[in-house]
Amino acid sequence: MRLHSLRARLLLSSVLWTVGLLFVSVVPFTLLLEQQSRQHVAMLLHRFVQSPVVIAIAVSCMAAGLVLARGGLATVDTLRLRLNRLRTGRERRVDGSYPVELQPLVDDLNTLLDHREQAIQRAIARAGDLAHGLKTPLAILAQEAQHARSAGQHELADAIAHQVERMARQMDYHLAQARAVASGTTGGAQSSVKESADGLARALLRLHAAQRITMDVQVPDDVMVRAQREDLDEMLGNLLDNACKWGRATVVVRLDAIDAPEDGPASPPGSVTIVVDDDGDGIVPHLREAVLQRGVRADQAAPGSGLGLAIVRDLAELYGGSIGLCASPLGGLQARLSLPRAESHARPTPEDTPRTA
Amino acid sequence: MRILVVEDEPALSHQLEQSIGGAGYAVDCAADGDQADFLVRTESYDAVILDLGLPCVDGLTLLRNWRDAALTVPVLVLTARGSWHERVKGIDDGADDYVTKPFQMEEVLARLRGLIRRANGQPRPTLTCGSVTLDPRLARVTRDGGTVKLTSHEFRVLSYLMHNHDRVVPQRELIDHIYAHDADRDSNTVEVFIARLRRKLGAGAIETVRGLGYRIGA
Repeated sequence: MRLHSLRARLLLSSVLWTVGLLFVSVVPFTLLLEQQSRQHVAMLLHRFVQSPVVIAIAVSCMAAGLVLARGGLATVDTLRLRLNRLRTGRERRVDGSYPVELQPLVDDLNTLLDHREQAIQRAIARAGDLAHGLKTPLAILAQEAQHARSAGQHELADAIAHQVERMARQMDYHLAQARAVASGTTGGAQSSVKESADGLARALLRLHAAQRITMDVQVPDDVMVRAQREDLDEMLGNLLDNACKWGRATVVVRLDAIDAPEDGPASPPGSVTIVVDDDGDGIVPHLREAVLQRGVRADQAAPGSGLGLAIVRDLAELYGGSIGLCASPLGGLQARLSLPRAESHARPTPEDTPRTA
Repeated sequence: MRILVVEDEPALSHQLEQSIGGAGYAVDCAADGDQADFLVRTESYDAVILDLGLPCVDGLTLLRNWRDAALTVPVLVLTARGSWHERVKGIDDGADDYVTKPFQMEEVLARLRGLIRRANGQPRPTLTCGSVTLDPRLARVTRDGGTVKLTSHEFRVLSYLMHNHDRVVPQRELIDHIYAHDADRDSNTVEVFIARLRRKLGAGAIETVRGLGYRIGA
């Protein structure tokens, strides 16, 4: 039986408890009557009390009352647990059904969360519009710089080109940041590593068609990480693009280790380490830390944004992950991106199921 | 070779037209989605440069519609939307290449050349037919190692025929690919260009297949 009213549940439990207590209290009462030699009444009660059925009913009434009361209060615990998951970004809404006294409160909270998420999405869209709106004028300026160069004004052309590139990089960086900060606050997102890697491999093979690079995606289907798809694409895209730029013929994406999620709702789940290997020249050890800093490039002449790896690092840290660089067994650079693993929807933990009687 | 530039910002559209035209291509421009859709469906282009944020119909919708209608024209997306998620989406929706603004004009031109080359199944950057070599990167034609001076129209005729070597190209198709939309088209002038090319490259360089068109052998 499901009782959706907390009030009815507590009332029923107290009635059951009282009835049980009443029956049990007949035992001392009988003893009292025997002592006062009211044999006639005592005999009757004695027979009544000795019946095991009566005792069983009394005890189960009390037990049922206890269970009902505990069950009613457990929904409050569940709610607190879910609010905690909301706060840590593992869920974006309060799911499950609650007693009628709590449900309106939960519904209001969900409406508020939806409103907030929409407001954030609008703000992000505006930030995107701003960045995109500025890039076309920047493109025009860059071509004007080219004209100035053809007209012999090399210093002016260099100055404009340099500033245009800086502005474009700043926009990309801060746009990615704004998007990630917003998705960090909305929470509850999870993305498939395989889907992201496959999509990026398709795109990068087209974008680097002239280089004839082979890209090997060795990622199982069911691995999910706790990140928005846009942000996972941005992190993995930058790493794979670098690997394609510097690699000679081969780029490999694989997973290193999947830690099983530990027990308990408060403990952090395990992480997934995505490994990207290339067979290029790699980066000398003392430069590896530097290229993860903002605005530093291993080779200033290389095309593309020097903020690429800095974006990856900032996004990863925002999600509680990390990025590291080391030497690859293929001969080039190995990038190791660790991100929190998302719990699979198919296997809910016992705490996830709402408690009802 | 004929290119369509779809860009709603007039200044950038003009710059692209100048630079791409300067590289030896015939260029048409469209400033909104509807115009671009009309031109792609009615004219013959060898490549399209497509902005995504367009008035009327946005670029990705256009691209999906073209691919659904089995229009295989190579499309280079030129956009401000530079996130990897958007790039993957652009490629999955049918883009053949993706360049983000602000861009280097040389990069756009290089990618355009690669796109046209791959669309015509040419593995190498320079085209060679007999003693004639055409280098699209420099818009330069050499015969037996010596540079041959060509007008822009002669270059376009030769470039189109060499990209489609061993195939008979009908005169109508040739006209479609060497003139911009608003240019005066006259089939007699094609005959004039062919005659001049034969004079410069040798009488046997271009073969006339009577009643069908022209052909350049490998």
